[in-house]
Amino acid sequence: MTDVAPFQIILFDSTSEALLAEKLFKKAGIPHKIIPVPRHISSDCGVCIRFFSSDTERVRSALAGSVTVRDIAPLA
Amino acid sequence: MTHQIDARGLACPQPVIMTKKAIEAGKDCVVIVDNEAARDNVCRMAKSQGCGTAVEEEGGCIRIRVTRGEDRKTQERATPAAGPTVVVFPCDRMGQGDDDLGKVLMRAFLHTLGEIAPRPDVMIFFNGGVKLTTDGSEVLEDLRALEKTGIRLLVCGTCLDFFGLKDRLQAGTISNMYDIAETMLSAGRIVRI
Repeated sequence: MTDVAPFQIILFDSTSEALLAEKLFKKAGIPHKIIPVPRHISSDCGVCIRFFSSDTERVRSALAGSVTVRDIAPLA
Repeated sequence: MTHQIDARGLACPQPVIMTKKAIEAGKDCVVIVDNEAARDNVCRMAKSQGCGTAVEEEGGCIRIRVTRGEDRKTQERATPAAGPTVVVFPCDRMGQGDDDLGKVLMRAFLHTLGEIAPRPDVMIFFNGGVKLTTDGSEVLEDLRALEKTGIRLLVCGTCLDFFGLKDRLQAGTISNMYDIAETMLSAGRIVRI
């Protein structure tokens, strides 16, 4: 993983949901990283999952029906 | 002569910013504002910076005298001692309460270390903290990136040995109690995670 690649982040309603989602990322073999929610998105202390934009559809289908996704947004 | 700041007609938070700059530049000042919200905001900020305030009002014009008090001078003297900044990791989790949460927080913390300034000069891993540096750790990528920026990562050899992880080190260098103790005692600042 390099930082020049375009990333998306996926936001959840709770840290527990982020952890559950991470298990599904691992199960589906999707490269990802847990990072703090960027300050410009929320000043709350929260974590989100960063992944490659090209994996967006895989992410959606891996999480479908298991985790509530609050938002998916490009990582500026 | 007292520095004068005429902040009449300026929108929030401009009067506060101008006052803060003067305080940080080491000046006592008189701030002139034309509304109560600006007066309250400037006074609140000045107090939070350890300064005294005196307000005079006449004909819609509010003059706030901001004086840098002893508190402020004490704050300025409390600069960190010279010497490297050392971050120590006695555990592979951040804080106590829930282990899974602690692991997530640690991952978020190590990611953030690479994104912010100031950076530490040395990171020391001992006891359970050594597990961050070995096979299967979720933060190896972050640790290697931090190491590449010139940060020294010292990993307790006794601890690796104890956990049977000596041949599974993936980031940092194996160190000993002499290096670890000397590094900690010659630090300007120690941050314990």
